[in-house]
Amino acid sequence: MPDQVTIECIVNGKQVRTSIPSGMLLTELLRDVLGLTGTKVACGKGECGACTVLLDDEPVNACLMLAAQVNGHSIVTIEGLASDNEATALQQAFVEEGAIQCGYCTPGMILAAEALLRRKPEPSEEEIREGISGNLCRCTGYTKIIQAVQKAGVLRMRQKA
Amino acid sequence: MSQTRFVGKPIARIDALEKALGKTRFMSDLVFPNMLWGKVLRAAYPHARICRIDTSRSEQLPGVRCVLTHRHVMGLNGFGIVKPDQPVLCHDKVRYVGDAVALVAAETESIAEEALGLIQVDYDPLPVVEDPEEALSEYAPKVHEQGNLLLRTKLQKGDVKQGFTEADVTLEQRYSTQLFEHAFLETEGGIGIYDEESGVITVYCGSQYAFRDQLQIARALDWDPKKIRVCSSPVGGAFGAKDEITIQIYLALLAYYTRCPVKIVLSREESFISHVKRHPMRLDVRLGATKVGELKALDVRILSDTGAYASLGGPVLNLALEGAPGPYRIPHTHLLGRAVYTNNGMSGACRGFGATQSCFAMEITLDMMAEQLRIDPIELRLKNVLRRNDLSAIDHLIFTSVGIEETLKIARDSELWRTRDIRKRDFQPPIFYGVGVASEMQALGLGKGIPDFAGVSIELDRDGSFLLRQGCIEIGQGNLVCFLQMAAEVLQCDIERMRLTHGDTFASPDSGSVTASKSIYLVGNALYLAAKTLLQELERFASETIGEPMRYQECELVGPSRRIPLHELAQTAHSQGRQLKGEGHFVHPTSDKDYGDGLPHCLYSFITQVASVVVDAETGMVKVHDVLSIPDCGRAINPQGVEGQCEGGVVMGMSYALLEKVELQHGRFLTDNFSTYTLPTAADAPLTNKTVIVESMEPTNPFGAKGMAEPPNVAICPAILNAIYDAIGVRIFDIPVTPEKLLAEIERQRKI
Repeated sequence: MPDQVTIECIVNGKQVRTSIPSGMLLTELLRDVLGLTGTKVACGKGECGACTVLLDDEPVNACLMLAAQVNGHSIVTIEGLASDNEATALQQAFVEEGAIQCGYCTPGMILAAEALLRRKPEPSEEEIREGISGNLCRCTGYTKIIQAVQKAGVLRMRQKA
Repeated sequence: MSQTRFVGKPIARIDALEKALGKTRFMSDLVFPNMLWGKVLRAAYPHARICRIDTSRSEQLPGVRCVLTHRHVMGLNGFGIVKPDQPVLCHDKVRYVGDAVALVAAETESIAEEALGLIQVDYDPLPVVEDPEEALSEYAPKVHEQGNLLLRTKLQKGDVKQGFTEADVTLEQRYSTQLFEHAFLETEGGIGIYDEESGVITVYCGSQYAFRDQLQIARALDWDPKKIRVCSSPVGGAFGAKDEITIQIYLALLAYYTRCPVKIVLSREESFISHVKRHPMRLDVRLGATKVGELKALDVRILSDTGAYASLGGPVLNLALEGAPGPYRIPHTHLLGRAVYTNNGMSGACRGFGATQSCFAMEITLDMMAEQLRIDPIELRLKNVLRRNDLSAIDHLIFTSVGIEETLKIARDSELWRTRDIRKRDFQPPIFYGVGVASEMQALGLGKGIPDFAGVSIELDRDGSFLLRQGCIEIGQGNLVCFLQMAAEVLQCDIERMRLTHGDTFASPDSGSVTASKSIYLVGNALYLAAKTLLQELERFASETIGEPMRYQECELVGPSRRIPLHELAQTAHSQGRQLKGEGHFVHPTSDKDYGDGLPHCLYSFITQVASVVVDAETGMVKVHDVLSIPDCGRAINPQGVEGQCEGGVVMGMSYALLEKVELQHGRFLTDNFSTYTLPTAADAPLTNKTVIVESMEPTNPFGAKGMAEPPNVAICPAILNAIYDAIGVRIFDIPVTPEKLLAEIERQRKI
């Protein structure tokens, strides 16, 4: 039997305490244990960004982390970004701009963009391209994703003002 | 349909919000109680005889529920869209490293993995067939017993010898293209479930045609197709690679033998080596024209490496030939192609379906011809451009809409094209700027002699809403909202008043595959018929019930003295046990000519693309700056969707031109993940990627629609190569144009 470890963390604002095998990946904790299948796995080795989640506000590839490493930390997945099912301005911008096609990269892409906008509320186009360059999308060609992030940035600044 | 309320409007996709919220369940996300994990044992060699398979140690591993080999395949041990020459589980021989030899189901994924390692397979390795030219030699080892030639196709028009004598200038060039990976993000994944009581096997697995999967599963399991349910939508990307069977039959077999739900999700590496790729082709092109730029003769010879099994290798070759002349009138043509089996993985459908390769070769040849003749490249194309009711370069009548001329004129008048020489002055050596153009004609639909149809039914629900039952799959292309936009137009109701089914063989009629850029056109036609029939049915029922002639108008039934809202009529029908519905069935029109094996087609979308590049002659780096795509897709049902197809197609095609290549050595993959096979990121995408839509109204579709999933990733590749030539005067004839390759060519030409 693999070693079990008990971890405590906050996932999407809720306290989670669970006993897991020490070798369990963060993606497995999220998808298989907590049923949060919005976090996708497309390469399993940190190449594509589909599993991007926020760890204490920073984007990380969940497929490269052990679940045990998030002990004492806070995780936000795509399911936890919106409150009460109300899409955030960023999610709404992805919908309106046509930035979503197959949608498999979308959760990771939105979380990478969210992290960028938290770090840099008014990013230039080049900063957006750089900020999401760890996330692969095969469908959209990125144009509408970049536009959606720009639009959300502007909306968020207005909301703050 | 000139005045529209829904068609032609950039309405947000109905699946987008759910996807943005992370709520969408892809087939690989599903989980069922008592679920087991399945794994596939792939071939240890690219070409080998199987001497013995011993599963005894694997079966004894605690937690293993079953280990299956070819002996467990109840029906035909084969699959394949055109001919079932690919074994479900190999028994005597393996022909590529993705071949499946055994299946395991176990209580956990790690036990299943361990069990694979305990299966003992003794092989007798065979020489690997790597070179498609050598594969045709009579001394070559045979990949298949009957020989290595899958298909040879010849098309001709006029007298090509005569044509070349009429030409003042003849150009001849050899081109080659690489093995290319679709790189959809969701790997093949899903679940099989067997319900003993009903005898129904359900397979949840993303694909491009649930109804064909159903038949292929039934054939392999010797099962009643009516008792096989396939749910295959939505899909996290496919681009052609999920048209063929992937893991569906494995899921069905494992579910049957274990009586438990069994889940398989392929790793990126296993996905990469097992599913079909875009064919590498060698193309020899000879083009003749008169001094004034009249194209006279075209001779094209194609050698296509189809890999280990047929899949769609034959039709891909044929479409490469049909697409080779492009959207031009050429009186004399001779087009000859051969598709050859090798042990180089396997190839099949991929966005563009053969036209990608032949357009690349033809459009560079045309660019060279324009230079030789000192004619502007766009003017040369315009001089020969195909129009409606012309005879094509393969001698069939183009009776459907043709908007290529307008796309070329828009390209000619665009700022990107007009200012190309002025902009060159903004760059100093070793940095050079150039602009290129290319056009394409993409056949839509499956072609002559191949069943190609769509069935749709629309029902009035008891609450007065509509349920549109159709079977096509959402693979990212955004067809679902288009279906609702078209239906809303006829039913005169809001999109919110409708629901629709997709990709479930138990929920709808068969609406065909989502391939060949055809679902908008075919389903659009079928749903139009269904909606019209439903409206008649509503009026008939309302008139009977009310006792006066009632007309349907904006979700109301209106008579001389009464108006009834639709939901009231729905309740009346429901209380009487009446199901009010309309059915529509549409069969794709076909050409008057029949060249066999799906040739020719009769409906085409067109595109002209202009690209600017910046080349660093010291590093060989090429950066695509600006792209203008001008598609003719018939009526654009959802312009935002068309833009999305164009922008995405451009980046995929750019990467085909400059970056991506699947590397094989002796039949083994050197690239099988995104570290070794790199994809373009947002930082690599063009600085601008614009779309101007030309809408040639298609007369055989009530909404005027055709399709636009493939063309944007086709013409862009030669447009970029032509732009590189415009920038630095160096032509490359084999793709991808990597910096190393370009630099070597620059060096070589400098020495000359």
